[in-house]
Amino acid sequence: MRDVARDPAALEQLRVRRARLAERMRPPWWYLTGIGILWALVFAAPFSSRYLPHGVRTWPILLAALAVACLLQWGLRQATGIAVATGSLRYPSGRPAVIAIIVLAAAALVTEAFLIDRGLLLPAIVVAVLAVVAEVAAQQAQLRGIRQDLRAGRGAA
Amino acid sequence: MTAKPDPLIHPITRLSICGLLAAGADWVEFAALREAAGISDSVLSKQSRVLEDAGYVEVRKGAVGRRPRTWFRLTAQGRQAVQGHLAWLAQLEALSASTRDAQQAGPLSDDHDQPRRVRPPLLGSS
Repeated sequence: MRDVARDPAALEQLRVRRARLAERMRPPWWYLTGIGILWALVFAAPFSSRYLPHGVRTWPILLAALAVACLLQWGLRQATGIAVATGSLRYPSGRPAVIAIIVLAAAALVTEAFLIDRGLLLPAIVVAVLAVVAEVAAQQAQLRGIRQDLRAGRGAA
Repeated sequence: MTAKPDPLIHPITRLSICGLLAAGADWVEFAALREAAGISDSVLSKQSRVLEDAGYVEVRKGAVGRRPRTWFRLTAQGRQAVQGHLAWLAQLEALSASTRDAQQAGPLSDDHDQPRRVRPPLLGSS
């Protein structure tokens, strides 16, 4: 086996291989579609209690969103061959995106509830749609950050 | 973390496997690791067994439908060893770069009759 002790290129080789690994972390088309559906379910929750027929409550919608999230996480792991904690703050480059996802979700839900309470249905729908788009973009940014950290070896726990 | 060479992860194949597992993923699947490391199935199987026996790598076997899937991750002991070894390699790389710079700057220096040579530290002589 080749000796690397006197090979200054050993780390360079490792960087190339890490870049190859990080490239595998590109999500398939259905992942971002699924993320869109997931957030659409979350942002539909405030409407359900007020506008859907009697019997349809918020929690089954949130439960469905949780099931979609688990399914997407499992699917991404199987498709890429890399298991990463997408929801965690462990990856420095992905951290701002995770914080943005949380803040955005909270802000959108509060705004939606505020508008629905005042009977402003159309503005509430617009907020929900914009929030879904923003969440998908933030999720893409987070995955980009994870790829960057895998490439640099910065995502170690 | 102390920069310390580890003879077990010193060979390039094992260094690649450990370095990829230390990049930040929780688990890496057999095919993903094989392709990223640019090695064959048999080499990965053999080297991962060595690392597993040493307690550096944890192996989890599963299946998706009828397809078997093997996943790898570093243990805490393995992570510590890899980080120490990578830090040692980084020192070596820095030393090598400074030597190169010194050689390039040689004609301008006063003592160019006696070129300085910096010998990289040998494995095990930390």
